[in-house]
Amino acid sequence: MLKYVVNRLLSLIPVILVTSFMIYWAMSLTEGDPAMMIAGDGASQEMIEQIRHDLGLDQPFLLQYFNYMKGMLVGDMGKSYVTNKDVFATFFQYLPNTLYLGGSAVIIATIVSIPLGIYTAIHQNTWKDTAGMVFALFGTSMPNFWLGLMLIIIFALHLRLFPTGGNFGWKSLVLPAVTVGFGLAALITRITRSSMLDVMRQDYMTTARAKGCSEKRVIYKHGLKNALIPIITAIGLQMSLVITGSVLAETVFSWPGIGRLVYESITRRDIPMVTGSIILCSILMCIINLIVDLVYAFFDPRIKAQYSKKG
Amino acid sequence: MKKLLVFLMAALMIAAMAVAGCGGGEKKADNAAGGGVAHKEKLVIGTDADINNLNLQKQQDAANNVILKNTHQTLVFFNNGSQGKERFVPGLATDWKFVDDTHIIMNLRKDVYFNDGKKTPMTADDVKFTLDMAMKNVIKSALAGFVKCTVKDKHQIEIEISSYNNEFIQSLSSVPLSIQSKKAYDDGVKEPWLIGTGPYKFDKWVQGEYCRLNKVKDYWGNSLPATENFAPGVSDVIEFRPMIEASARVMALQAGEIDVCVNPPISDLKFLQDDKKVTVYEQPGTRLFYFAFNVEKKPWDNQKLRQAVACAIDKKSVLDAALNGKGTLQKTILNRGLWGFYDEMPGYDFNLERAKQLMKESGVTGPIKTTLTYATGAPYEQIATVIQANLAKIGITVDLVPMEQAALKAACKDGKQNLFLWRWNEDSKVDFVYRDLFYTGSGSNYHHFADAKADKMIDDVATLKDQKQRMETGIELQKYLVDQCPQVPLYIANLVIAYNKDLKGEYFYGGGNHDWRHAYIAK
Repeated sequence: MLKYVVNRLLSLIPVILVTSFMIYWAMSLTEGDPAMMIAGDGASQEMIEQIRHDLGLDQPFLLQYFNYMKGMLVGDMGKSYVTNKDVFATFFQYLPNTLYLGGSAVIIATIVSIPLGIYTAIHQNTWKDTAGMVFALFGTSMPNFWLGLMLIIIFALHLRLFPTGGNFGWKSLVLPAVTVGFGLAALITRITRSSMLDVMRQDYMTTARAKGCSEKRVIYKHGLKNALIPIITAIGLQMSLVITGSVLAETVFSWPGIGRLVYESITRRDIPMVTGSIILCSILMCIINLIVDLVYAFFDPRIKAQYSKKG
Repeated sequence: MKKLLVFLMAALMIAAMAVAGCGGGEKKADNAAGGGVAHKEKLVIGTDADINNLNLQKQQDAANNVILKNTHQTLVFFNNGSQGKERFVPGLATDWKFVDDTHIIMNLRKDVYFNDGKKTPMTADDVKFTLDMAMKNVIKSALAGFVKCTVKDKHQIEIEISSYNNEFIQSLSSVPLSIQSKKAYDDGVKEPWLIGTGPYKFDKWVQGEYCRLNKVKDYWGNSLPATENFAPGVSDVIEFRPMIEASARVMALQAGEIDVCVNPPISDLKFLQDDKKVTVYEQPGTRLFYFAFNVEKKPWDNQKLRQAVACAIDKKSVLDAALNGKGTLQKTILNRGLWGFYDEMPGYDFNLERAKQLMKESGVTGPIKTTLTYATGAPYEQIATVIQANLAKIGITVDLVPMEQAALKAACKDGKQNLFLWRWNEDSKVDFVYRDLFYTGSGSNYHHFADAKADKMIDDVATLKDQKQRMETGIELQKYLVDQCPQVPLYIANLVIAYNKDLKGEYFYGGGNHDWRHAYIAK
């Protein structure tokens, strides 16, 4: 098992190489000159050329990339063109906020969606099932920035239960987490329902009932445990997306997360920040996927055995 | 019984006085500028852009400069004109004079010290250090013409410039050129650029969340009267919170979480105007939005054709679509409020018949198909749609090409565009408008306009000492540029801002670089 984990961690190296090259190449193709953005309106051509030279932007693309990777080997991801601050330090300043938001959203989504998915599966083809699926449809269709604004109007502006935005304590986290979690809950509800329906038709479920197990035990011990693999997969994938893709919710709630950091860095052509942030996000996603795979092993002994064999 | 009642009443009165004294966040201003006015301890301003760099000379963002204005001070002070005719007045410099065309002697205040905890006096060495450092940073462009600074004595400097320039002194009012402490740099202090001489100093900056400033208790200007530009601050704390989403910013104001909402969306103004706790303030701005041609590309190298297009644009509809009419239409290329602003030329009123006549005179035949490049987002999208419809009426088919801002600037600089929309904001230096937008080869001359006559007039406006002649040349230049028509000025957007109705001491600038140093929420 340990060997499996080490092998997965070592596989991060090619991920970093490919991701960094793709991002550097993509940014080099994008229109817009970082030197112009830094120099600002009214800057002379001489000043722009000076900045380009100071930042190494007048060098060929491959040489720029090579110098960047040389720095990465010693843990130096460069400095932001805009803030002049260390990219690594800036990313880790924003990361906890994103993890709080992503983690809270996933917890809210999981608490809501798994029981709801089970409930709708048990009551398939009844009005209860329909209501659950309407909720799921609503959640996946609704733009989360609109939901965010609606929550602010109701809970922050009128009821004054939570702040409208910012990062000022646990209360500030509730509305953005619900906004992001709502869409996730809808998706996970559907997957849970679908997975449970598959499992409920299996022979061992009938056997369990025949043995005299209570319906609750049949559903949770025999059914849910076997239905969890696709659910865990969905939660893991969504966690990765939430961490890097919550830019709309972060903007609406002025939440200082990585999504917003990357978006603003792209608009400012802040190449070191974009490259560094995306590499670190890729590493993070790989680690989350690894955790998800290890969680499989916890729930399914067959998978654990496979890891031990492969490792 | 009577004695008991009297005792109880006395006790109640004492208790009431004690509670009043402990009132949450209420403070009496303890300096001359506050004048003993009760005010909330903290003033919170919701900004529409992120604060990204507080190193004065390594950035040029308005969002950063609005904050740095509170903590740092310049040699020359630029006020918003409401205090009288003189807009550039002594700041940290008490006076200056040109000894000849290229040498300026400047005397400095003797009572200024830095907020470094040691009250290090500001001297000529700090000024020289600041200006020399500026020449090595991105802010160098603000000091165009600067050659060197020489220390004459502890509070006197001599500045040498390459040639006489009417607006060099104005340059010294630029926030990034605020005077910094040489000692802080020499001593290796962490982030020495944060140390200023202003009435506020940095408490904490959490990037992406807020920037908080504390009033300097031992500020050098504490004894200055409230009417002075460098009077002490009033609010004990000023906090700037970036809130990019405009509707969320409006709701934060209505919820009382912030005291000022910068640039509220026009669509939300009605809700704010109905809110009794909020004041919506509007004044003429300085941000000019314009439609322009790449005059190097056919057929836009044809002056008559450009004039025809100018006559075909319904500017009022553009303004209504973009800002619900909250702005001022204009003809001239200069930002409203700048020295020498002249808008009385005939210009190009919306007149389709005249447009068609000019098209005939241009000699350009056949249908014209072209592209209009603009930055994504409001108000450019609305403006582009109106202009596309306008030009269709005179037989010009326009394909809209939205682009991200950075890509737009690069494309325009390289001359890839045909027609484009852009904006220019300036509230102090006319040379910054003329030279950057219209001078041959200038970096921001996206029109690629190259005209020797215009260049000469631009140079004359910058260097003529006879102010009457300078004014006449400025007016002639504006008329000439309008006639040449490399751009069609559309409107100047109004400054719209919403704030807590108890806000006092604020000082608004049409361009958005407001002054919060003396602002407070009155109780």
